[in-house]
Amino acid sequence: MTPKVVALSFTVGAECKTSRARAGIMKLPHYEVKTPVFMPVGTQGTMKGLLPEQLESLDCEIILGNTYHLGNRPGTVILKKAGGLHKFMGWNRALLTDSGGFQMVSLLKLAEITEEGVKFRSPYDDSEIMLTPEKSIEIQNCIGADIIMQLDDVVQTTFQDYNRIKEATERTSRWLDRCLRAHNSPNEQSIFPIVQGLLNDKLREQSAKDHLTKDVNGFAIGGLSGGEAKDDFWPMVSLSTGILDRNRPRYLMGVGVAIDLVVCVALGVDMFDCVFPTRTARFGCALINSGQMNLKHKKYETDLQPIDKDCSCSTCKNYTRAYLHCIVTVETVACHLISVHNIAYQMNLMKTMRKNIEEGTFPQFVQGFINEAFPNGHIPSWVVNSLSSVGINLEKS
Amino acid sequence: MRFAIKQVGVGSERLGHLTEFVRSPNCAIETPTAALMTQGGSVVHLTAEVLAKVFTNPQLLLMPLSNTIKFEQGIKAQGEGIAKFAGLPQHIVCSTVNNINENTPLGHFEMDKVPVWSNNGKKMITADRYMDLMELFKPDIVLAIADGRVSLSEGHKRITKSVDRTCNMLNTCVNRFKESTHLQKSSLIGVVVGAGNPRKCEACIKQVLQHKDVISGIAISGLTDGTEDSYNVPMEKLEEIFQRVSDAIPKDFLRIVEGSWNPAVIVAAIQAGFDIFDGSYPLKLTNAGLALALKFDVNKKSEELCIMDMSDIRYKESFEPILAGCECLTCKKYTRAYVRHLLNTREMLASVLLNIHNLHHFDQLFYHARMHITATTYRVFKEHITKQYEIYRNNQENIPKETEGVQENDTPIKKIKVREDSDVNKINNSSSYS
Repeated sequence: MTPKVVALSFTVGAECKTSRARAGIMKLPHYEVKTPVFMPVGTQGTMKGLLPEQLESLDCEIILGNTYHLGNRPGTVILKKAGGLHKFMGWNRALLTDSGGFQMVSLLKLAEITEEGVKFRSPYDDSEIMLTPEKSIEIQNCIGADIIMQLDDVVQTTFQDYNRIKEATERTSRWLDRCLRAHNSPNEQSIFPIVQGLLNDKLREQSAKDHLTKDVNGFAIGGLSGGEAKDDFWPMVSLSTGILDRNRPRYLMGVGVAIDLVVCVALGVDMFDCVFPTRTARFGCALINSGQMNLKHKKYETDLQPIDKDCSCSTCKNYTRAYLHCIVTVETVACHLISVHNIAYQMNLMKTMRKNIEEGTFPQFVQGFINEAFPNGHIPSWVVNSLSSVGINLEKS
Repeated sequence: MRFAIKQVGVGSERLGHLTEFVRSPNCAIETPTAALMTQGGSVVHLTAEVLAKVFTNPQLLLMPLSNTIKFEQGIKAQGEGIAKFAGLPQHIVCSTVNNINENTPLGHFEMDKVPVWSNNGKKMITADRYMDLMELFKPDIVLAIADGRVSLSEGHKRITKSVDRTCNMLNTCVNRFKESTHLQKSSLIGVVVGAGNPRKCEACIKQVLQHKDVISGIAISGLTDGTEDSYNVPMEKLEEIFQRVSDAIPKDFLRIVEGSWNPAVIVAAIQAGFDIFDGSYPLKLTNAGLALALKFDVNKKSEELCIMDMSDIRYKESFEPILAGCECLTCKKYTRAYVRHLLNTREMLASVLLNIHNLHHFDQLFYHARMHITATTYRVFKEHITKQYEIYRNNQENIPKETEGVQENDTPIKKIKVREDSDVNKINNSSSYS
């Protein structure tokens, strides 16, 4: 008997005894990914000037591509002929693609959402184009990522109209069914449903419960990180992770700032993605535990330290703050160097969290991290409240 | 640094090597070769980590003051010179005042001062100031400060000024160099200008050679002012200049050519006895989305052009390496279709992959030139390369040029100009979202 091929198998290896944090392994067709994991975003089949080889040495195990962009350029014909995005871009580890829906709404002013799909004007030739759940899956099947996203009905996070939010939440569930029906490679790719409902707890609860009944390998939490207050954000994450079952991975979309990662891991999230580390690198900002270091600042002109003396990335091994100060926002190399460090920072943070979860010291790690991030003791109330909701009660340093 | 000639060819072409570098004592650099052009202390588009994937040995790097003058305070604080400061401590640095190809204003000279256009505007540099900086930067090779951004077609007055200013400044450089403790292990190179006027050029060489006990070689400048037009010089004229200058200087002198010259000019200068070349040509191609694809095997004729426009629609479904058989990282792992996609989407990795290929391939040009000098078959090789370039050049004259005007100093903000193709629209409509 041949074993059944599974596109994703998730094993929780360790759980924090205090909070909901857990460490596990997510086996995907192209790679075994250790969770909790941060996934850097390589929008158009490349990671902001870095070679896939560099991403491997940074211990990136899974990266993200954007369906909207890839569907436009290079397009499905070329991706199909190339044998999928993995081969096209020379990346042998795991990939995840979004559905393209988010870009429709964020990039295109004239998107019109109907039951059939998202109708918009092509930015290239102004023709009318319809992205349906079926079409999104068809493109994602061509791209061939290990994990793919359902098309969801996206509403601005800060939107207030209850009827529209309700419609979007319910439509997202209907579109999930259409996506699952259209999916033609379930043995190689896993579709994640997206928990919607914005900031409405009833709708979000309903959405999560609907999705739980489906035959899927993991879940995404969407509709957050869109400019809402942090006090509104974390309860929605907590509500979602509280409903989703413990045996499948949970992916919180669009979150990647260090403090958010620490809090949301404590709330039980396993996967994150965000453009922030590479975007901020382009503006000359390096990530460190106490926040961001803007290397353009004059005070770094003669600072001969690496960005972070404890960081083992190739940038911190080779280059000083003084040198980076001279070339940031001028040379492409500066952008590459800071991107390398910032991705290393994210990877290292996740690795440290995994280790502490495994060793049963996660609450102590959180306390230490908070002390370093807020050295003056002014810890934002949302951080205190969210962590205490899962049993981590912070002491003021 | 020490320069020694190992073998002289049938013509004036010769094989040599550079050794005894302070920071890399075991390194030997074989000539003829190119110095990799840097910008802000880095090989353009390549971090030290990626550069190490292209070249495993220490490389000769050309570091213009114009884009490194901002390092002054940092280097002063560190006290270990520019190579260490720029994160490339094992590499060999050759400093010069300007990258001739930088798109900066011409003129603006003052008596015995050269304008340097940094990101913070114009700075007037005297020879003393230049040598102050060199003592801080501690390069392995110092090209004397010169007024060398002059095209061959300049008038008598401009050329005379260029020669006078360059020679006056050389006197200061030589005196400062002799007294310097920091530059004891470095080599000073005199700059020859005025090539557009044989008499002036001869006078310049004569003055430079007054310092022949101090300097280790000469660099020829004043052939171009960096503009695209000034590079359009008949080959015979350049060959005549190269030979004339080469004949006028001692045989054991290191000879350097500044400027972003094409492969045909380079192989001609090698034949005249030049040893080191400004490596900005491959970068110029990279920034224009072009790939160098010379065929080195003299027994094989090729129909394909020696420079490929990687943004061309013809490569959109070409899942082959840029150049079959090329051993560079880009050709071993990535396809033309992928490079084209990166150019088309203006992604930074396009420049990284193209520069990896172009730098490797340009280095191979010199490797094969050296092999042919050893085998005393250099003349055949030279003809083989010249012919390929001529075919490309003739081909270009028949199509409208669209890649010109791409600037050398591309920043993350200024993007590569890519030919837009109507095909993208077709793909959108028919296969993606319709």
